[in-house]
Amino acid sequence: MKVLLIIPAYNEEENIEKTVKKIENYNKDVDYIVINDGSKDNTYKILDEKNIKHIDLVHNLGIGGAVQTGYKYAYENNYDIAIQFDGDGQHDINCIDKIIDPLVNEKVDMCIGTRYLDKSSSKFQSTFIRRLGSNIISIFIKLFTRTKITDPTSGFRAVNRNVIEEFAKNYPTEYPEPESTVSLLVKKYKVKEVPVNMNEREGGDSSLTLNFWKPVDYMIKVILAIIVDSISFRRKGGKK
Amino acid sequence: MQIKLKIVLIIIVLIYILFILKAVKRKNMRIGYLAFWSITGGILIIALLIPNLVENISNLLGFGIPINMIFSIAIFIILYLIFNLTILISKEQNKNILLVQEISILKKRINELEKKEEKSDGK
Repeated sequence: MKVLLIIPAYNEEENIEKTVKKIENYNKDVDYIVINDGSKDNTYKILDEKNIKHIDLVHNLGIGGAVQTGYKYAYENNYDIAIQFDGDGQHDINCIDKIIDPLVNEKVDMCIGTRYLDKSSSKFQSTFIRRLGSNIISIFIKLFTRTKITDPTSGFRAVNRNVIEEFAKNYPTEYPEPESTVSLLVKKYKVKEVPVNMNEREGGDSSLTLNFWKPVDYMIKVILAIIVDSISFRRKGGKK
Repeated sequence: MQIKLKIVLIIIVLIYILFILKAVKRKNMRIGYLAFWSITGGILIIALLIPNLVENISNLLGFGIPINMIFSIAIFIILYLIFNLTILISKEQNKNILLVQEISILKKRINELEKKEEKSDGK
């Protein structure tokens, strides 16, 4: 079974080498691909010099566009499972078995690694504001898809071949994590969550830094996106 | 409308049409969009040249003064235009993302193939 880690990286010169080292030292057979999303720092130099497998996007696309590139690569190279994995050291490589397991043994289509399902699983529980945001998004997802997702903004997720194909063709690039989850749920794919460990970011800035307007703006648009997706995808009909 | 004001307005519209022609000549505007702009230019000229046309229409539709009708129509046309531009931009953004992704994946494959070739040449 071919497994690919998709690692989006934007200005990750401090972390990317460490992250890749950990993956290479991991004793299981997994491939990885770093998607360099038009970084402005020395990320591309490090990727070239250290012979890290990567795709350089010719122009910055944002996390959604970068991750979709990874899914396209996974699709073209016939991978059975693709795992989204952050380049900033937030995700724990040792949780990979845990996150793949439901795909292999329970016929789940997508498995999301969550911080909130079992609080003892992860020492790092993120800030109050973020959790509040996650909870609100959760409520809306539950309202529109009748499924409870505790950590809808988690970027640590594994998908099977069917979903790789789906994402390679259409992936919501604006608010990728919550939107892709909703689109799969509406199309009747099976989505499951497993508790995983997450670390605090080791450097660089999170895409949602703390200022007042940005999170509010994000919340409004995500909620809008959930509503639009759940209506428009339902109309088009579900999985064949 | 006063004859002086009319002359000034006609000159402005003529300059506006000149702008359109210039843009087309430099190929800054695609023919599809030219239709919209030349039709608005044409309507403006006709409205200015036929005496009492604007006044009569605005009386007919029940606008108090002609300028109100002109402003209303202009605002609706501008809203329509901006709405269409938003859709156009969204479509172009999606295409742009697709292009960047495909080009980047192709570039990686070309690099890999070139490296392979270099190796086999070395032997």
